[in-house]
Amino acid sequence: MKKSMLREIYDFIKHGFILNLTGGLTYQLYLCGLVALMMIGAYAYSVQLRLGLAATNMSNIVSWGFYISNFTFLVGVAAAAVMLILPAYIFKDKDLHRVVIIGEGVAVGALVMCITFVFVDLGRPFKAWHLTPGIGILNWPSSLLSWDIIVLNGYLALNLLVPAYILFCQFNGRQPDPKKYRPFVFLSIFWAFAIHMVTAFLYEGLPARAFWNNPMMGPRFLASAFAAGPALITTVLVVVHAHTSFKIPVNTFNKLRLIIVISAIVNLIMLFSEIFKEFYFPTHHSLSATYLFFGLKGHDALVPWIWSAIACNVTGTLVLAFNPGGNKPLVLFPACILLFVGIWIEKGMGLIVPGLVPSPLGEVVSYAPSLVELGVTAGVFGVGIFVITVLVRPALVIEEKSHAAA
Amino acid sequence: MKKQPSSLRLYIALTLLLIVLPGSAIKVYCGQQGVQAIITQAGRSVSAAPAADAAGGLPANLVQVHATHNGQPFWTETRKDKVRRFKCSQCHDNSTVTAENAAAVAHGDMVLEHGGAQKPLTCFTCHKEDQRDFFETQKGVVIDMDHVDELCGQCHFRQKRDWIGGAHGKRVGNWAGRRVVANCTACHDPHSPLFKKRWPATYALPLDKP
Amino acid sequence: MKPLHTPPAATPPKTCADARRRYGRRDFLKSAVQAAALCGAAAVTGCDPGQIQSGQIGLQWQEYFKKNYRLMTPLEKEATVRRLEQLAKLQRGIDIQIGTTEPVKEVLFGYAFNLTRCEGFMECVQACVRENNLDRASKTQYIRIFEMEPGQMSPESGNGQYFHEVPVDNHFYMGIQCFHCQNAPCVKACPTKATWMEPDGIVVVDYDWCIGCRYCMAACPYWGRRFNFNEPHVPEEEITRKQHYLGNRLRTRGMMEKCTFCIQRSRDGKLPACVAACPTGARIFGNLLDPDSEIRFVLKHKKVFRLKEDLGTDPKFWFFID
Repeated sequence: MKKSMLREIYDFIKHGFILNLTGGLTYQLYLCGLVALMMIGAYAYSVQLRLGLAATNMSNIVSWGFYISNFTFLVGVAAAAVMLILPAYIFKDKDLHRVVIIGEGVAVGALVMCITFVFVDLGRPFKAWHLTPGIGILNWPSSLLSWDIIVLNGYLALNLLVPAYILFCQFNGRQPDPKKYRPFVFLSIFWAFAIHMVTAFLYEGLPARAFWNNPMMGPRFLASAFAAGPALITTVLVVVHAHTSFKIPVNTFNKLRLIIVISAIVNLIMLFSEIFKEFYFPTHHSLSATYLFFGLKGHDALVPWIWSAIACNVTGTLVLAFNPGGNKPLVLFPACILLFVGIWIEKGMGLIVPGLVPSPLGEVVSYAPSLVELGVTAGVFGVGIFVITVLVRPALVIEEKSHAAA
Repeated sequence: MKKQPSSLRLYIALTLLLIVLPGSAIKVYCGQQGVQAIITQAGRSVSAAPAADAAGGLPANLVQVHATHNGQPFWTETRKDKVRRFKCSQCHDNSTVTAENAAAVAHGDMVLEHGGAQKPLTCFTCHKEDQRDFFETQKGVVIDMDHVDELCGQCHFRQKRDWIGGAHGKRVGNWAGRRVVANCTACHDPHSPLFKKRWPATYALPLDKP
Repeated sequence: MKPLHTPPAATPPKTCADARRRYGRRDFLKSAVQAAALCGAAAVTGCDPGQIQSGQIGLQWQEYFKKNYRLMTPLEKEATVRRLEQLAKLQRGIDIQIGTTEPVKEVLFGYAFNLTRCEGFMECVQACVRENNLDRASKTQYIRIFEMEPGQMSPESGNGQYFHEVPVDNHFYMGIQCFHCQNAPCVKACPTKATWMEPDGIVVVDYDWCIGCRYCMAACPYWGRRFNFNEPHVPEEEITRKQHYLGNRLRTRGMMEKCTFCIQRSRDGKLPACVAACPTGARIFGNLLDPDSEIRFVLKHKKVFRLKEDLGTDPKFWFFID
C-alpha cells in the first residue's frame, strides 16, 4: 500500500511535531526557558522598533555592535558543520556519520541566528524587501553584503534540504538515494567554505578599516570557525549523550577533538602572527589592535575581555590537545565551552569593535551593548537554540529507529 | 573508483571558474577612469549651468574688474556705494577745518593696523591726499575706489594673482554663469586687515554615547 | 479590511501567476500583502498611530512601495515628490518644494580646501546644519573641523572638538566632510544600490531606498556618512523649504545621510552653503571640467594633496596650502 507523497510529507512533519512536544518535565522546562528568552527578545525588539537604533549603544563611530559581532561568530559555527559533513559523506567515516545530522541541525540553527541578527541590525527592517532581486535591487556582485545574503540563504537551504531528504526517506523506511543528495552534499561543502570566506571578505574588503583589511582574515575565520563549531557540536553531543538514549561512541568524541585541536592551533598561530605584525613595528594601523589589547586614550573596555578570551583559547586548546580525561565528556565539556567562549569574544566584539575604533578620523570611543541589545541578542539565541532543538530531537529518534531496523 | 576522473574534471572546471570570475571583476573595476584622467581629457566646457544667473543670488551693483583670468572677464561688487559717507570730498574739500576734534569725530573708530610695526602705513599710503575720492599707488597711479584690488595688489601681488585665478578670496552667489567675486575689502577691513579672534559659530558634540 | 488598492480587472485573478501577469510584480506584491500590512503601516512609516489621518496613510502606503529613484520615470518622480510635499503639509503643516533637478551636462563638481586660510570659525558647519535640515536632537554635522598642531597633517592627530577662541596661535584648521570619491567605497558596498555617484560627481543617497545596514559607513575611510539612529528633529521655523529629493529633504530614522555638495543649490548653479558661508574664503567649489574655473586654477597653480590617497578612492576634494 503506497501512500501519496503529500501524505508522507504531512505524516513526517506531524511526527516531528509530536516528537518535539513529548518529553519529560526537564525538557518541558527547558522549552519554557527558551520561550521566555524569545519573549524577552521580542519585547526588547519592540522597544528598538519604537525608538529606532537609538535604543542601542551603537553610534556613528561604532556603527556595528553586538548584533554584527554575534552574526560574524555564528557564521563560523554554521560553516563548521562541514567538518562533519566532509568526513561523513565523502570519506564515509562511520563515527562522524552518526552525528552528522546534529552538525547540520546546529548549522541551521546558527544560520537562522545569523540572518535574524542581520535583520535586527537594520535601521529600517520593513524595507528589507529592497534586497529581493526582482521587486528590489540586490547589488550583486559589487557589494559583499549581497554575496553574504546569497550564500547564507543558500547554505540554509542546503542544510535544511539534505538532512530533511535523508530523514524523510528513513522515516518512510526507504534507503536514501545517494545520487539524489550527494551532489548537494558536495555543493554544501564548497558552500560552507564560501559562507565563511565571504563573511571574512565583507570585512577584508574595506580599505577604510586597517584592522580588517588584512589577508589573514579569511583563513583565520575558517580556522576559528572549525574550532568553535565542532566545539559547540561536542557540547551538544555531550548533552545528547548524557540526557537521551542516543549514545555517542568515544571514537566520535576523539575525532571531533582532533579536528578542534588542529583548527584551534592553526587559529592561535595566526593570532600570534597578527599580534606580531601589529606590535613589532606599530604603525598608525596598529591603533585598533592597541585599543583592543591595551586600551587607547583611556578607553579600555575591551581589554579584560580579549585577554580572558586568549586565556580561554589557550587553556581550552591545551586541555583538548593533551586530553587528560581520555575523551571523557566531563573533561571535554568544559574545555569545549572555554574554547567556544574564547573564540566568541575574540571573533565577535574583539573583531568588530576594534575595526571601527579608532574612527577613520582618529576618534576613540567606548562601546558596550545596551540592555535592549542584550535582550534582543538573548531572544535571537533563544530562537537559534530552539531551532536546533526542534530539528535535532526528532532527527535523532528517526535515525535511531532506522539504525535499529537496519 | 572509476568515477574519479569525471569529478576531478569538475573540480578543475570549478577552480578555473573561481579564478576567472574574480579576475574579470577586477578587470572591470580597474578600467574605471580617475578624476585626473577625466580632467586632462576635458575640453573647453560648454556653458555649464546656463540658468545659473537667472537663479539669482548675485549682488545688485557690479563692476567689471580690469584684470582677466584666462581672457575671461569677471566682476566684483562695487565699493563706493557701501562706504557710508562717500563722497569723501564732501568734507575733505580743502577748506579749513573749523569743528573741534573733527578728526576724532569723523574717523575716531578707525584703528590703523596695517603694515606691521616695521613699516606702519599711514592714511596717505593709500588715500590720495589731494583727491580724497580716490586712491593712489606708490607709483602715483590714481585708482577708483571700486577697483581696490589694484591698490592692494601693488604689495599683495601674490594674493592678487590668486584672487584673479580664484584661489584667494571667494566667489559670490553662483559657481556657474557670470563670475562675481568678493573684492578685497568685502572680507578684510583695509585699516586692520587681519581677521580677529573670536568664538566659533558652533561646536561638535562628543562622539561618545552618554 | 477594505483594500485601498482596487484591482483594475473585474474578475479576481485565479492563480498567483495569473495575478502577477495581470498587475505586474510590484502591484501584485502590493495587493497580496496589503490587508496584513495595513495594520502594520503605522509601524512601517514610523508614525504615531494617534496622528494618522485618512489620506495620510494612503500616501505613506504608496511611498512604501515606490522604486529606487534611479529607476523612476519622470512621472513617477513627480508623483513621489507630490506625495512627499503633501505628507509634509499633513504631518508638519509646512509647505515645502522638493526638486528633482537633473545633473547639468559637462559638469563634474570638485572642491578645494585652503588649509592656510581656514581659521576654525565653523560658520560652514552652522550653515550646513541649517541648509541641509540636519538633526538638531543628536546635533548631526556633516562637516568636521580639526584643530591641528603644526608638524602634522592627519586629522587623527587633530582636535575635532575644540570650543574656544579661534584661531589659536600656531595651529591650523582642517575641514573634513564627504569627499565625493570618484571611486567611492561606499557605493561599492551598498547592498541595495541606495547610494551612487551622479554624473556630475556627487555621491548621493536615496534615503527611501536605504535599508539602514550601515555597511557604507564601515566602508568610508573619511567618516563622511551619518546615520539617523534617532528620529531626527528640526524646528519647524528652521526647516529649509527648498529641497531636493537626493539632498536636504527631511529624513526619518534608520536611514543613512551625507553631504551632497548641497545638491539643491549646486545644481541650480549656486554655491554649497558651506562655501557661501565661509568668512575666510578657504572653501573653493566649481566645475572640474571647466578650465577657467577656480577649482582648476587651484589644481594647476597650487600644490594640492588629498587625504589617504593611498586608498585609491580618488576623492574630488583637495587640500592646499597658500
